[in-house]
Formats: sequence, structure tokens, C-alpha cells
Amino acid sequence: MVYLDAVVTSRFEGRRFEVPSRVYARPLELFDGASVSAGALERELSLSGFRKGDGKKAGSYQRSGNRFLISTRGFSFPDGDESRRRVSLTISGDRIQGFSVIEGDRAPIVRLEPAQIGGIYPAHKEDRVLVQLDEVPALLPATLMAVEDRNFYDHFGIAPLSIGRAMLANIQAGRIVQGGSTLTQQLVKNFFLTREQTLLRKANEALMSVLLELHYEKDDILETYLNEVYLGQAGTRSIHGFGLASQFYFGESLKDLDVSQIALLVGMVKGPSYYNPRRHPERATERRNLVISEMEQAGLIESGRATRARQQSLGVSERPSYSENRYPAYIDLVRRHLARDYKEEDLRSEGLRIFTTLNPAIQFAAEHAVTDTLPRLGGGQGAESLEATLVVTSKDSGEVLALVGGRDPQFAGFNRALDAHRPIGSLIKPFIYLAALQQPDKYTLTTPVLDKGFTLEFDNGQRWQPQNYDRKERGEVPLHEALSRSYNLPAVRVGLDIGVDEVRETLTAFGVDTNISRYPSMLLGSVSMSPVTVAQIYQGLATSGFNTPLRTIREVTDAGGEALSRYSLEVEQVSDPATVHLVQYAMQETMQEGTGRSVYNTVSQQLSLAGKTGTTDDGRDSWFAGFSGDLLAVAWVGRDDNGPTSLTGASGALPVWSTFMAQVPQHGFSPVVPDGVNYHWVSSEQQALTDEHCENARLLPYIAGSEPTQTISCSGSLERRIRGWFEGLFQ
Amino acid sequence: MIDRTLFRATLVSALLSVAGCASGPGGGIYVPTDADPSTAPEPPQTSSGSEESEAPVWRKSEQPETTPETRDSSRSGSPSYRETGDGLSPAALSLVREADQFLTQGNVSGAIGRLERAQRIAPRSAEVYFKLSEAYVAGDQLGSAEQFTLKGLSLAGSDVRLQRAGWLLLADIRRARGNVAGADQAEARAAAL
Repeated sequence: MVYLDAVVTSRFEGRRFEVPSRVYARPLELFDGASVSAGALERELSLSGFRKGDGKKAGSYQRSGNRFLISTRGFSFPDGDESRRRVSLTISGDRIQGFSVIEGDRAPIVRLEPAQIGGIYPAHKEDRVLVQLDEVPALLPATLMAVEDRNFYDHFGIAPLSIGRAMLANIQAGRIVQGGSTLTQQLVKNFFLTREQTLLRKANEALMSVLLELHYEKDDILETYLNEVYLGQAGTRSIHGFGLASQFYFGESLKDLDVSQIALLVGMVKGPSYYNPRRHPERATERRNLVISEMEQAGLIESGRATRARQQSLGVSERPSYSENRYPAYIDLVRRHLARDYKEEDLRSEGLRIFTTLNPAIQFAAEHAVTDTLPRLGGGQGAESLEATLVVTSKDSGEVLALVGGRDPQFAGFNRALDAHRPIGSLIKPFIYLAALQQPDKYTLTTPVLDKGFTLEFDNGQRWQPQNYDRKERGEVPLHEALSRSYNLPAVRVGLDIGVDEVRETLTAFGVDTNISRYPSMLLGSVSMSPVTVAQIYQGLATSGFNTPLRTIREVTDAGGEALSRYSLEVEQVSDPATVHLVQYAMQETMQEGTGRSVYNTVSQQLSLAGKTGTTDDGRDSWFAGFSGDLLAVAWVGRDDNGPTSLTGASGALPVWSTFMAQVPQHGFSPVVPDGVNYHWVSSEQQALTDEHCENARLLPYIAGSEPTQTISCSGSLERRIRGWFEGLFQ
Repeated sequence: MIDRTLFRATLVSALLSVAGCASGPGGGIYVPTDADPSTAPEPPQTSSGSEESEAPVWRKSEQPETTPETRDSSRSGSPSYRETGDGLSPAALSLVREADQFLTQGNVSGAIGRLERAQRIAPRSAEVYFKLSEAYVAGDQLGSAEQFTLKGLSLAGSDVRLQRAGWLLLADIRRARGNVAGADQAEARAAAL
């Protein structure tokens, strides 16, 4: 008896507070000019649990052509409440136009409620949305009592009379039609979910119910019941409580449910899988209508309302408003970031709300790019075992918008984006040239660099003989061309000239936090990094020299909405913007004339991009890292067993990257010219200023003071041609 | 002790340019040509669908094409650049104004929250970063304030007003941090404009 008392009390206390943490995507911000396609908006609405309808009921939207009417439910964000509003907007050219608030507080910018993208569950995989008795519509507990336990407020935990009545009914019917358990007994049963129907268990259950009643108020028991009762199953995750069930079946908050929806949920208590409205709509409808009749009989609703409620459809959303672990790779990174500040057990039980930076539209495009592109890549032998990852960040905020960890984005296994540390190959070259261009008196974009083989002999007698990918040698080439064509020999020569340590320091400044090899082979990218680290160091290249720490979390609040931690935007200047601007020029050239030019087979010429290919020996790693005006993305393709492929950065990772970029409406890359940089028309081969209309003229940026001093006329000599014209005229 | 009024003086001029910025926020965007890969068929059009028949707006530079300082991008296939950053859209501006109210009430973290929202929708606007700097000054986090000022300056381009506001702000912050030489240097940059 004492034992039972201890058991039931600890269960009761424990269950009342164990709530999983909820993980939210970033909320979509609606305002004039926001980039979003109509399809992406509709997907976003559906993810956030909006339903297609008249756009008048909170949580519904109406679409006609490209015009949307959306009724938001309002949401309590960490930085304040977003009130309920009805808004109208049009999508034109993948941007929001004519945005206006029709009903509710006027505002030029409105946030949709964020999609819930996952949860961090207790070990037993029970999920719930905790509700308090005073926020539950009164009709719900009233109906529950009318159907399940009429004398709830009068009995002492068990009701011998109703047990007797149930027995009688069962005997008359010849089968079990009534349970006779009180809500308290059902609650106890829920605590110890075993299906065995033994006498001992029944007796224990009854005893524990009485004990529970002795210790706690009726309202406490009722509230716990509302949060505890089992109402369905989503994969391995069990759905507990009316709060979560309401979201799970209707995609709506409990307080918004109408009569027929409340009736359905109460009806399902009797058998959540037997009356599952998604699987057995007829049974569920019959059961619901029975409950509606009971509500009517008990005087809870008038007959007119009852009739209308019976005529309604079940109103169940097509699929659950969110499913467990839809984005395993991304959530994995979120958990690792959380682990810096939170204990695992708190995440599993404290009902924290975690607001992440995931952009569902970008994630959708990223997953599609991987799953669609991989099967189309050649890859030679072992092509079927090709894997790929894609990391997408917001260029100027460092927010991780999407993460794909492998060819099957739903598979929660090895997270290559974080844990595959692979040699980065030529992705290192922009950092070599960046370090070199920091000495403008010695290196400019037109400085000739030597594309010619050589041998390095080490003290131990070992020899190193770097080669170009195509095994050719071109003699002198301008620096910008050496980078955009990714020639190996000039990169190694320049790297050795400025010193390996200089390159290592640059990499460290840009965010590499592991030890970097001192061997000259690091100049050809023998240094290994994860795709996420590559995204981190390229952030500085994309933002004119500002290191922006990657973030997946904006804010964490407790269950009550109180802010626990904020992860703010941080920037740190790690390089002179002028030097980075020169490297950005060559990285744009890479896309237009160099190793990345096949991007424009997939993407419109009008989207200016910058990037760099990377390939390691025998095609073991195929990399592409690059950016537009808004997005930075890093793609990697290779095999888990580190085996060879026939791919290069341009034929493996770049197609994945291009397919991604092609799908997303965005701004082109067009960097602001920093202070101290001037553009000049030059003849790149002859390192001399020239005229704009000359055939080989190129408009190139120079750090002030480092521009060529000579001037050259167009080849074929302009003066002579003019003289020839005059001669012709006067002869 | 930091002299707040000193900071404010430079910032007012920075923000004044907000309303007068000629270049719109963002300019044109790239619009994917492919149909959405897995969208259900579109519902029947109730309108004439005229929006869809318009040619998609593609533009290389983010600057409006009429802006004279933008490099002529008709020469396709050459690296792009521009002389100034973006202005603030009405949506971003409304968030900046809310942040201002928070700052007046002494709610620094509230202000930073609003400004980060503004930054996400106007990431290439120097003003947003200068405002973030102001919020961090109010929160006595001068290191962050200095970095955001530098970031804003990297987007000020050829806009002299923004340049001057940025360099003066930087001078104030550096002086408050005890970096007199750095402050003098920043002031000299402002004076040279």
C-alpha cells in the first residue's frame, strides 16, 4: 500500500511536468518585396498547419491564382506576441506585392506562426502539448465527463455504481459496451500502459485511484488527465493529451476547436486506433455523432447546434501538421549547438521552445537538388555508392538555412555535413591568393604568376612534384586567371612565396579551429574539413572579410515563453574588405569563364554568382563552394569509403549546387566596391592600362596605388589606324 | 562613462539618409524558370493570369538599371559590382523605428531583436549595421559596436553621408574604448571625405 502510494504519487508528479522541447523553423516574414514563390508560400502555409479554406477562419488561407488571403492564428514569439490578423497579398515575379492587413493590427510586416520541425523527446517517446485547465474550452471537460465519468466531481476515485451499471449493460448486450472506469482510473491506467487485464492489476488500479484522490484536488487530476490521455500514434511517437491531439488531428490549437472537433477527440478516448479518423473515417464519424448526442442530452449544447455539428465533415487535416524528425541532419546540428548550453535531460523534459533558423523552402530546394542530381551524375565505378551533402547559409547573417546530410535526407544516420572531414582540394586557393593580395605592392590581379612544374626536395630526401589537373603547363598567366582556372602550379608557387604560415593564419582567421598542416601539400588542399566548416570559412569571403559565426538557433525560451538564451548576430572583421573584393572578382570570373562556368547551363546568366571548385586525387572528393547576393552554399560529393570516382568539383558537386541555386528566387552577387579600390580598364596579359573598347580590355579592381603605370593602346595600334583613315580621305 | 549624446549626434545624420536613399531595397531578383519541382497543379485561375504572362524580371545588378554609378551590365559575362549598398524597405524601416522606441525605453535586447529582423530582410544596408552598433553602444558592448560599424562601412560604398556617419561613429566608439590613435585615424577619414 505504501509502495503503491509512492509509485502513483511520483508518477503523477513526474508526468505532469515532463514535456519534450519543441523545435521551430524560422517564421516566414510577409512584407512587400519579400522573395517567395507562390508554390513555396503554399508549402510554408501547409507546414505551419494552415488549411486551405476561405481565409477567414484563423489558420486558414485562400489562394486564387497568385493572390493569397491568409488568416493567421497569432503566435507568442520570444520578442513579443504576433497578433491574429487577416492579410492579403499577391505573388508576382516571386516577390510579395500589395501586402495589406485587412483585419487586425495594421503593420507593414507580419510573421506567420513558425512550422514545428521536430521535438526533443523523453526516452519513452511520449509527446504532448501541455494545456492548463483554465485555457481549455469548458465544453471539453464537460463533454468528457458526460461521456466517460458523470460523477467525476463526486466520487472518490472509483465508482462502484457505474461499474455495476457497466456490468449490467455488458451482460445485456452480450459484449463489452461500457467500461465503467472513472477518469481517475483511466489516468492511472495511462500511467502504467500495459494491456494485461489481470485481477491484480485491476485491484491495484482501483487502489491507486483512491490514493490519488486522497492526495490531489479534482482539478489537478482532471488537468493531468487532459494532458496524459493517450490519443494516437505517429510512428514511434505516442500522442498524449488533448493539446497535442488537437494539433495532430486538426492542425489547430485546442482553444480554436468547434463542437464537432471536441466531440471527435472525446470520442477517440475510447479507442484511439479503432476510431482513428484518418484511417477509419466512418467509424470515427459514427462515434463522434454519438458523443454529440450525449452532449445534447446532457444539455451542453442546443439541438440546433448538435444537428449542425453532426452534419459537419470530420475536419481532420490530411496529414499531421508536423512529423517527427523531418530534417534529421539539421536537427542534429541544432542539438549540438544546444549541447553547449543545455543538459540533454532538460531538453527532453522541460518543454523548452527552440527557435531555429531553418528555412523550409530552402531546405526543400536543397533536398531536391541532392536527390535529383545524384542519380544523374556519372561517377564511374561505385557511382551507386555516391553520397552528397549540401549546406546553405544566409550570406550576411551566418544563419544555417538548410542542411542535407546524405543522399537520403530523411535518414537520420551519419551526418556528413558535420562529421565527414575530407580534404578540401582547390577550395583552399582563394585563401592563398587572398594572403598574397594583402601585399598589393607585390601582388595584384594581373601580376603574372608562373604555371610551370618544379620539384620540392625535403630534408628527409622525399620529393614533391605538384602538377596541374590537366598535366599541362602554360608559362606566365595573370593571377586572376590562375585562380579562376584553378591552376595548381601557380597556387603552390605563390603559396610558397608568401609562406605556408601566412596561408595558415588566413585560414585560422576565417574560422578554421583545428590544427592545419605545415606541409606544402596543404597549398593543394590536403587539409581536411567538414562541409559546415567550409561554409564557415567561405562566409568571410562572401561578406567582404567579415567572419560571421554560423548559427542554427535564434532563441530558446522556457515552456512559458520566458527567454533563456539568445544567439545574436555577430560579425568580426578578419580581412581588409579591399583585398577580399579582388578575390571575389576572380571567384565571379570562375563562374563566367573558369572551372565553374557550367553553372550557367542550369542557372540563368542573369544571376551573378561567385564560387570555387575543389577536387582531390582520383575524384575522391568533389567540392563546390560559392555564393549569390543572399545565399552561401557548399556542396560535397564523394563516397563514404573514400573510394575514387570519375568526378571533378565541376562535374560532381557543382551540378548539385547549380540545381539548388536555380530553384531559389534570390539576388545576384554584386559586391559594393570598398574604400580604396578602383576599377581600371587594363590589358590583363600586358599588365597595362588600356582603353575600354580594346578587344582584350578587362575592367579590373585594384587596391589604390597598385594599378599598372604603363598605358598601352589597342593592339594593331589605334594611332596608325586613324592615320590610315585620314590618308584615305586626303589622297 | 560613455557619452551617449556624442554617439547620438553622428547617428542622427546616419539615419537621415534612410529616407532619402535613392536606390530601392534589393532591386530585381532572380526568378527561377523551372516550375516548382513538386507542386501540385495550380488551381484554376480566376484572374486573367496577366501576371504570369509578363516576362520575368532578371537583372544582373541589384541596383536599378537607371542608377548612373552602376557599372553597365549589358556586357554579359563579366564580374558584377556596385557603388552603394541597399536602402531600407518600408518593412525594414518599420522594424528600425520599433528598435528606436525600445532604445528610448532602455530596452537594449528588444532593440537588438528588432534590428536583427531588419538585418535579415535588408542585409546589404549600411544603416541597419550602424543602428545595431548604436544598440550595442547603449548596451555598453563597444567591441560588438565597433564591428557592426565596420560592417556598415563596408557597405557604405560611395555614399559620402553614410561614410562620414560611419567614420565618426567609429571614432566615438574607439575613443570610448581608449583607442585614441584609432579614433584619430577614423576622424581623419571622415574629414577627408
